[in-house]
Amino acid sequence: MDRNWLAKQWRHLKLWRRFFAQAVVRETQFRAHFVSTLVVSIVQLGLGIVPILLLFGFTSDVRGWSQANVIVLVGIFQIVTGLIAAFVAPNLHRMTTYLTQGELDIVLVRPVSSQFYLTLRWINVAELGDVVLGLAVLVFGLVYSGASPNAGEILQTVVLAGCGLVLLSCVWSAMSYLAFWLQSVNPIGNIFIELLESGRYPLAFFPAGVRAFFTFAFPVGFASTFPAQAILGELGWLPVAGGVALSVVAVLLVRALWRLGLRNYASASS
Amino acid sequence: MNTLMRNVRVLKRMTSADLSQAMVYRGAWLLFMAANITVPIISLLIWRTVIANGAKLPIDERYITTYFVLLSFVTMATSSWLTGFLANDIRLGKLSSWMVRPASLLVGFVANNVTEKILKTVALVPMIGVLWWIFRDSMNIPAGVGRWLLFAVSVALGAMLVFTIDILIGSLAFWMDDVTALAQARTTIANVLSGAVVPLALMPDWSRGFVDFQPFRFTVSFPVEIVAGNLSSSDLLVGLAVQLGYVVVLGLFARLVWTSGLKSYSAVGA
Repeated sequence: MDRNWLAKQWRHLKLWRRFFAQAVVRETQFRAHFVSTLVVSIVQLGLGIVPILLLFGFTSDVRGWSQANVIVLVGIFQIVTGLIAAFVAPNLHRMTTYLTQGELDIVLVRPVSSQFYLTLRWINVAELGDVVLGLAVLVFGLVYSGASPNAGEILQTVVLAGCGLVLLSCVWSAMSYLAFWLQSVNPIGNIFIELLESGRYPLAFFPAGVRAFFTFAFPVGFASTFPAQAILGELGWLPVAGGVALSVVAVLLVRALWRLGLRNYASASS
Repeated sequence: MNTLMRNVRVLKRMTSADLSQAMVYRGAWLLFMAANITVPIISLLIWRTVIANGAKLPIDERYITTYFVLLSFVTMATSSWLTGFLANDIRLGKLSSWMVRPASLLVGFVANNVTEKILKTVALVPMIGVLWWIFRDSMNIPAGVGRWLLFAVSVALGAMLVFTIDILIGSLAFWMDDVTALAQARTTIANVLSGAVVPLALMPDWSRGFVDFQPFRFTVSFPVEIVAGNLSSSDLLVGLAVQLGYVVVLGLFARLVWTSGLKSYSAVGA
């Protein structure tokens, strides 16, 4: 961790700010895209809540979760997945073309970290509408459930949701890097998106084995259940520390996997 | 009759050509189907928990389990994906090259549809078999071959129905520049009304009559109900009649729209 390393991160941050500014400019050109994405988000959010509404028409409580608490959870889930859709997904969806069309070669000769560039280059500003919607749902759920989180609980929630964002991005990245060995990985993105749907429900709704899977292997619990429990004041600091530790490990593993993949990469254009 | 025979021959040729082409990506089909089965499994686990938790549902655990285990197969078997491609072919003028050929563009779409479904069935059925075995103690297995025959007929009719709706919406590209939004709206509506998200039996009482007779029920839910539910003989008869009616009426309507579209078609660049 020398000064050189810090300077490099600072440079990447500045570069990312440029990407963001450029994405905003681009979006203002395609206003219809922004509006239609927002409308689709609203409809999809509504449809996503349908099973939960129906479910709580038959019962008032499932394993300690009330309808209001699940709405809080859905709000948080919407925020985290909205952030992934805006900042990470547009990049990972391109992974196959990067590798099969030789675009990676051009990235590799650029003076930035290739992994940084490939993971964060493209931003879909319109998806941020999802984040705003998620915030609205979250606030509604909190009022509905009568929860009044204190500063410590809000901090726990933010950190845990951040861990969810990092962990899920790492899992998706790792799945995409399989393209180094498998070439076409487009369907892997599909599996990721479908598995993500499980985040609309509390982990408690699943059998024990599946719960472990959604905590450690496909850590969607960090995108909804744990932050929701935190903001409802049902979680201590230990899971927060666990989440941070897990995120650090995940980032290091994904870095290592990227290096391994690059070593295996034989270029598509030469 | 002659044209029909020729079309069938062309269809057979095109399907086997498509098949050998698609076999290149064998691994991808497996991943696609794994993604396909994910959400039904999540729903299955959720609703079993809800029932185990003492919720009073209008349907029992056996119905729910059979429903979700069969769901991914039926959604796959009745799906169609030509709207976007058809609209593009019309808008970009690719339809022109088909108009001088001895078979309709639509035959090409049928061939593509049949091909993909053969490959998807090969990939999907073993996975459903595993699921079936895991939940074998709480599956409804109808006695007698009759029900399975009805199921097969109903799936085939459902597939025709979805295909027809796709042609109808895609054909609007003869008059509209962009049918993407329309197709998107149709997908989201169909997801809920077909029973792909939640079994229609769980829909609230006030929606009953509408839910039971709208066309989307006959694209997914009805075939599944034949196996999972306990429809009486008269329910079955009425259901099949309504399904057949939708296929015929929408089929005639699609034909009308398609032929009048062809008449008004003036290709890009022609």
